[in-house]
Amino acid sequence: MKKFIRTYLPFASNELKRNMAYKGAFYLFTLCSLFGSFIQYYLWMAIYGSAQGAKLGSLTREEMVVYVFMSYVTSSLTMISVSRELGKDVVKGSVVMNLIKPIDYRLSLIAKGLGTMVYHFMMPGIFVWAGLEFYKWYALGLPVVNIGNLLLYVVSVIFSFFIYVLFDFCFGMIAFFTTYIFGMQMAKDALLSFLTGQLIPLSFFPEIVERLFEFLPFSSMVYTPVMIYLGKYGISELWFVLGRQLVWVVLLYLLGSLLWKQVTRRMIVLGG
Amino acid sequence: MIQVTHISKEFVSPKKYPGLKGAVKGLFSNEKVRKTAVDDISFHISEGEIVGYIGSNGAGKSTTIKMMTGILTPTTGQCLINGIDPSKNRMENAQNIGVVFGQRTQLWWDLPLSESFTILKEIYNVSEEDYKSRMDFLNEVLDLPEFFDRPVRTLSLGQRMRADLGAALIHNPKVLYLDEPTIGLDIVVKDKIRDAIRQINAQYRTTVILTTHDIGDIEELCSRIIIIDEGKKIYDGGLEELKNTYGAVRKVTMEVRRMERISEIDWENRLHANSSLFTVQTDSEKNLLTVSFDKNRIQVSDIISSVMEVSDVKDIQIQETELSEIVKAIYRHRI
Repeated sequence: MKKFIRTYLPFASNELKRNMAYKGAFYLFTLCSLFGSFIQYYLWMAIYGSAQGAKLGSLTREEMVVYVFMSYVTSSLTMISVSRELGKDVVKGSVVMNLIKPIDYRLSLIAKGLGTMVYHFMMPGIFVWAGLEFYKWYALGLPVVNIGNLLLYVVSVIFSFFIYVLFDFCFGMIAFFTTYIFGMQMAKDALLSFLTGQLIPLSFFPEIVERLFEFLPFSSMVYTPVMIYLGKYGISELWFVLGRQLVWVVLLYLLGSLLWKQVTRRMIVLGG
Repeated sequence: MIQVTHISKEFVSPKKYPGLKGAVKGLFSNEKVRKTAVDDISFHISEGEIVGYIGSNGAGKSTTIKMMTGILTPTTGQCLINGIDPSKNRMENAQNIGVVFGQRTQLWWDLPLSESFTILKEIYNVSEEDYKSRMDFLNEVLDLPEFFDRPVRTLSLGQRMRADLGAALIHNPKVLYLDEPTIGLDIVVKDKIRDAIRQINAQYRTTVILTTHDIGDIEELCSRIIIIDEGKKIYDGGLEELKNTYGAVRKVTMEVRRMERISEIDWENRLHANSSLFTVQTDSEKNLLTVSFDKNRIQVSDIISSVMEVSDVKDIQIQETELSEIVKAIYRHRI
């Protein structure tokens, strides 16, 4: 175990350093995506302002504020693309440089994702979160989040991270067949912003659709942790959703191993 | 150390048709093209050997290397590296090998070179003392310190190649695969790389397999070469033997003053040889006389003395057939 950590930790810490090396790009990216969150915020406020009841899709106006910003924080922590790097490695053939080392390629990608996650947590995750809690307390006069929900949220986010990267790894396998993945990635991102509840809370959908979406692994990526943060689940429900996350981690891990085995067997690397 | 038995690799790819019409047709057709990149190759390499693995572009060199490193799985046949089958135990095999692909890098592109080395140290589980002593050695033979703290992307090609070679050796591998390690390098850096390879081989008895298009690399480093063409092995043996078998022909070119008197020479008598063993060519415009001959049967001094008797000689050049000529001849012959 110690050796395992010693082997893969440098991938995480180097990814962290790498992120910092290109901080200009990251500030811009953060600014742009935060901007999106604010648009969403004003849009929702307008919707709530013209709505009849106090609750929409089982969320109050205040809860919606939390939802918008926490789904931003959560997705920046959990939705860390490994397929982009995988795709690039496959298309350029540099995947061979990883295969000549005594490391598991997928684990190295996950470790790198973890490095990015830590970076996103510091920049800007924790600031957005602190700002949100301050706003809640100062402007909305609500109590800050209770520590139990926060801890459960952290556990759930860790599961979410693994679900996303393991799923994305499987998705990245497409690159081996098409040798081009960028367009697919755009499509995936658009689809996922719906299915994960990033754009609209899943509780807004008709019940049958909501059921279906919750059954898929994507709801576990963003929707589940944010709802835990909001304290929307009872005890038994809580165990159920966390258990469901764990099941997806295991299933996607196994699926990824299977695909990788198939793909490397028929891999072609040409030129140099 | 390395035992390769009857390996073959076949690539299957969808058939492509030319032109726009072809591109559309390609969308609907399911035809496959089979290409055998490596065809039934076997060889054995012992510990501490430096073997040159050469062949024209697309002959299957890199494919063989990739099978020996465990990146590709052979279609048939098997290779054993130090008793391990790389296609089954890739990770275990990777611990024992070092690889440099001249056209790629295994270094972390955006980070200082030093970071890459610390990561590799952890990946290969190199102890602190081993790391220190090896770094001392590598610094000495590769001059790494001058760019050790610079991001890899800012290194020149020569520096990057030295760094890559160093990175492939940090865990003291038993086998070192070098796939075109001197590609695109200037003569000074080439020399440095060759020197380093020689020293590493001498110091650690590392087995080295080298693919290259640079005949200089082969001549300076390898005692044995394997030539493959179109996936088949066509030569496996010592460098000297190859030269003797294919390169017995020597050429002597002389610039003479009195061209008209050359025809007076009775070559067969003077050289004590049958006319099939030599050819004489004259160029009366430039006053050049060229004699090609079998160096095992005819003395060069006989040729020169017989010419000197009839005319003054301004210049003499004796050329041995170069390895590149031999290799070229072999490649051409196959086509």
